[in-house]
Order: sequence, then structure tokens, then C-alpha cells
Amino acid sequence: MIEYDTEAGVMVIKLVYYGPALSGKTTNLMCLHDLLPCGGRGNLMVLDTARERTIYFDLLPFFITAPSGLRIKVKVFTVPGQVKHDATRKAVLQRADGVAFIADSQVRENLNNATSFENLEQNLALVGLDPDKLPLVIQYNKRDLPGITPEDEIRSLWRPSGVPLFFASALEGWGVVDTFECLLRVTYASLDGRYCLSESHGLSAQAFTCGLTCPEVSPGLQESSL
Amino acid sequence: MTVQGSISFVVGEEKKLTDVLSESDVMPLLKSVVGAGLDLAAIVDTAGEPLWFFAPGETRPGSMLPLGAAQECRPIMLSGDTVGRVHLSAGGEIDPALLRFLARVVGDAVNSMVQTNLKRMMVTELHTKVVQMSYDELLEKNRQLSASEQKYRELAEHLEVRVQDRTAELKQAYARMLQQEKMASVGQLAAGMAHEINNPLSFVLSNLKTLEKYVSRFTELAGFYEEQVAQAGSDAVTRCLQAKRSELKIDFILDDLGDLFTQSHAGAERVKKILSDLRGFSHIDDAEHSQLDVNAEIERTLSVLSSEIPGDAEITRELAEIPLVVCRGALLCQAFLNIIRNAIQVKPHGLRLRIRTALHANDHITIVFKDNGPGIAPDIQARIFEPFFTTHEVGSGMGMGLKVAYDAVTSCCGTITLSSKEGQGAAFVITLPINGRCNE
Repeated sequence: MIEYDTEAGVMVIKLVYYGPALSGKTTNLMCLHDLLPCGGRGNLMVLDTARERTIYFDLLPFFITAPSGLRIKVKVFTVPGQVKHDATRKAVLQRADGVAFIADSQVRENLNNATSFENLEQNLALVGLDPDKLPLVIQYNKRDLPGITPEDEIRSLWRPSGVPLFFASALEGWGVVDTFECLLRVTYASLDGRYCLSESHGLSAQAFTCGLTCPEVSPGLQESSL
Repeated sequence: MTVQGSISFVVGEEKKLTDVLSESDVMPLLKSVVGAGLDLAAIVDTAGEPLWFFAPGETRPGSMLPLGAAQECRPIMLSGDTVGRVHLSAGGEIDPALLRFLARVVGDAVNSMVQTNLKRMMVTELHTKVVQMSYDELLEKNRQLSASEQKYRELAEHLEVRVQDRTAELKQAYARMLQQEKMASVGQLAAGMAHEINNPLSFVLSNLKTLEKYVSRFTELAGFYEEQVAQAGSDAVTRCLQAKRSELKIDFILDDLGDLFTQSHAGAERVKKILSDLRGFSHIDDAEHSQLDVNAEIERTLSVLSSEIPGDAEITRELAEIPLVVCRGALLCQAFLNIIRNAIQVKPHGLRLRIRTALHANDHITIVFKDNGPGIAPDIQARIFEPFFTTHEVGSGMGMGLKVAYDAVTSCCGTITLSSKEGQGAAFVITLPINGRCNE
């Protein structure tokens, strides 16, 4: 959690898209930016890139106001996937409330996926987060490409962990919103336990997820200004 | 955000409009737009309070919203949130379309400035944070390397000393082992010899008795012959017999026979006792720990040493009634032997050795060996139990005697101490627990 100011009634949540280099983390955010109505979000902010590769991070902010008046800002970040930017990944990962791990489905990327996931677990521990308790979803991206690992194989690989698993093509625009919705759901579940979002602020899991992904069909929620 | 002198940022922290915009950013813009014929150009926060403004002739923004004036506002967005407005107003004579147009230009310019400044800030903050983290990691790595370097340096410095210590330890262990092995083989040899000698000795003893009996019969027969010859009254034969008898010194032989038999018998018995003592002393048949009669062990040791004890030595025993002690017998005898032998060696003439045993508090016994030798100089008293420490001439002792005694006693959970004044003899006091268990 970046910030929770009960007096000002502001809660700032941090979600991080993690994964190996070129697995499509930025593309995921761009896709969310394009697919989700602009009512509940700000603009995608892409910091400097080098040959289309993230070297700092990207940021896509979302907003929702709970019935209690609590204004919740969900800031979705990407990290640079290249090994050499580990310090940046650690800095971005600090105080994360949930992580979406974006893996590359291509068979030749399996080793990189594993290395990056190990790196995620290490860095979480280093910044003081418990990898076993932090809300986590996994997305196998680039399902549109040839030479990809079969779904069954991936499912049996991750089944023992119990982590929610999604298949997507950020380039074609499918699976991305599902991943994000699921990340919001598991994050809500974790935050609700600690901050009584439903009890004290009247914000249900459904309202939270819907309010952030399709705000215009959630009447009663205050629209954020353009 | 400053924490203990170091700069620390959390990526994604909320920013206020005043964080990302400064007066020098916006004032030129506000000034130039007012130059186009406006009364007031301002940037206000969400509550409508002016953050920056420019109005010719106005120093206070009190009258910035004159009634009836034409005005235009444009929101200022900061990462999706409305954080303020660009506010322009003019007197009635301005074209409303121009005002709208100007508002849009200024609004777009300010929003773009906010966006650019925010990006720059986030990059700067991230950079600062990464540098800080890398620096902290380097410091930590440096600390670890220094610590490990220190460790290796110490290791290298003390290596020589430690090698010497270990070598000395090994030498001691080796010497002790050698000594123990020597004792064991001596013990085995003694026990083997005792067994071998015991058999012929037994029949020597038994034959000696039979021989004594046979000889007595011959003597009787000789007497009988003499008697018969005397009764037959042949003086010539009697004289001849007597002459032969005195020529062969038969009277002397008959006198001496008794002594010969007694002495041979005693000698053989003594050999038998020596053998039994040797066997007992070596404790070759005992288990590792057994119950020992310490008084008997002292006697046995003295007996084994008897050949070494000078004739003029006076050894007094004050052996109290003491219970059996659980102990390794061979070791304990070895300890006694070494202490007594030491006393004999330092005082070859006129030795007076007192050996006293006593029971204390029903749980431990003391054995005191006090001699009238030259005593032990104070400066070497602390060293006498050290291995290889010897006052004997080179070649006559390896300096293991008292070390062996010390090890023997400590292995039985006992203690051995020395009290001595130079010129007034020395007293070794051995204390042994009765149950053989160490008091922890």
C-alpha cells in the first residue's frame, strides 16, 4: 500500500505487472488503457523507453470512490524485465499490494519465465513482502504466436501452487481484462481483511472490480472528472 | 521524503499540483496570456484558491473574480485526477471565442507541463532510489568483505601459532599413546611370563616337598645302618664308616639340609608371590573399570618395586580402612609406581617415604605419598605434570612419569596435587571419588 490517509479519505493501492523481458507487460497496460472506458482511469504514462523496451516503468492509474466517500486510487505499474534493471524492479515492487506475473508462452522462453519468477520471489522477500501471502495472478501471454507451450502443460505446472492462471494475447486484446479483474478480486480479498473495505466503507468485491473495469455500468459510484 | 539524512522515495507516491509546478514554470505563461488583453490569469486549486496568478495592478487576488466579467476555466489533470484549474477572466470588451481559445491554449500548455514535470520527477525519484539502494548494497558488500578480510588476516597471523600448538598436542598425544602401549605390552609380557614361569615353579615346589620327604627317609636309613653295624659289634667296620662319614662331612650336610630345604622353599614361594603381584599389577585380567582395594594395590606396587627400593630406605604405611574404589586399576598402579619411583630416584640413600590412606566424608579417599627428598623448586612446581618435563639427565627419563600419573588419576575423576618446599621433601596427594563418577 502506497498510502492510506484516513483523515483525507484516500487510499492508494499499488499493483505491479512483473515478468521477463519482452513478455508484454507494457502491452498489457496499453491494452487495458484501450479496452477499459476512460471514466475510471487516468492516462497511461510511459516513462522513457529504449527501443520500445521499458527502462523505468509505466503507470496506469484507476480510480473508484467507495460509498463511504473513501477515494481509492489503484496505480498499476510495469517493471523493466531485463535482468540488469533489477534495482529498478525492486524499487517499483516496494509496497505492492498485488502482482500479475506476465509470462511469455513461447517454449524457448520457459527458462526466462522461471528465472524471472524466482527473481520476483527473491525481490519480494527483499522489500519485505511475503511471496506466499501477496495476491498474485499469472498470465501466459502471446498465445497468438506459434511455438508456444501447450495449455495443459502450463496448467499442470501451476496447479499445485493454486495461483489463478490466465491465457492471453495482449496484442490481440483478449485475456488481458480477465487477468486484471482477477488481480483486482484477489487484491480486494486481501485488503478487505485488513482494512474492512466492505464493512466500514460499504465497498463490495463486485463493486470494487466492476467500478474499476467498467465504471459506467456501476451506478451510484461517483464518476471521476475527465 | 527525508529519513535520517538519506533520501527515500516510494515509487508512485501521490503528488500535489504545487509539487510538480513551480512559479517559474507558470508565471511567464500567465503573464503573456494577460498581455493578450485579459484582466487576470490564475491557476487555482480544487477549492478555487489561487496558487499562482497574474493581474496588472493587482497585488492581492481578492478581486480576481469580478462580477460580470467574462471568464473561462480549464481543468488541470495530474495522473488522471483533477487537481486544479486554469482560470482566465477579462472585462466585457473581449471576444468570448478568443477567451475560450486562450483558455484552451493555456490549459493544454499547463497540462503538458504537469505531465512532463511529473515524468521527470518520477524518473528522478526512481533514479535516486536505485542509486541509494545500490549504494546501500555496496556498503553492505564492503562491510562483509572487510569482515572476511579481517578474518583471513587473523587466520594467517595465528596460523603459525596454531600449527605449533597442534603439533605440540599431537606430540603429547603420541607420547601418551606410546607410554600406554608400552605399559600394555609390558603388562602383557609380565602376565605371559608369570604364567609360563608359574607351571615349572609349581612342580619345582611340589618336587621340593617330595624330595625333602625322600631325603628324610635316606637319613633315617643311614641312621638305621649305623645302628645295626654298632650292634653287630664290628669295630673295624664302625671305624671305617665313621671315617667315611667325616670324610664326606655327612654330619654337616645333615645339619644343613633342613636350612637348604627351608630356604629353597621360601625362595620358590617368593618367586610365586612376585609372579602373582606382577600379574595383579598389570591388571591384565581386569575390566576397564573395576572395584579396587587401594591399600592392596599400594602393597602390590611396593612389592613389584621391591628390587628398586634401596636397603636403607624406610617405607612406612599408614593404611586406614577404606572402601573399594571404582577405578581403572592398571592406571592407578602405574600412578603409584611412578610417584614412588620418583621418590626413590631423588633420594637414593636414606629415603623415608610415608604412605597414608584415609577416607573423607564417606565419598572420597586420599592417598598421600610424603618423602624426605630434596623437594621441588617453586618455579618448576607448576610444570611437573607437563609432558616431557624432566629434571633427570638427558636419556634417563622422558618426562612422562608424573604426566602419566596425572592422566591416570584424572581419568578416574580424581585429582593429584603437590605440596613441597625446597629442601623439605615433597608430598603428592591423590584424591579419588569412591563411586568413580566425576562431580559435574
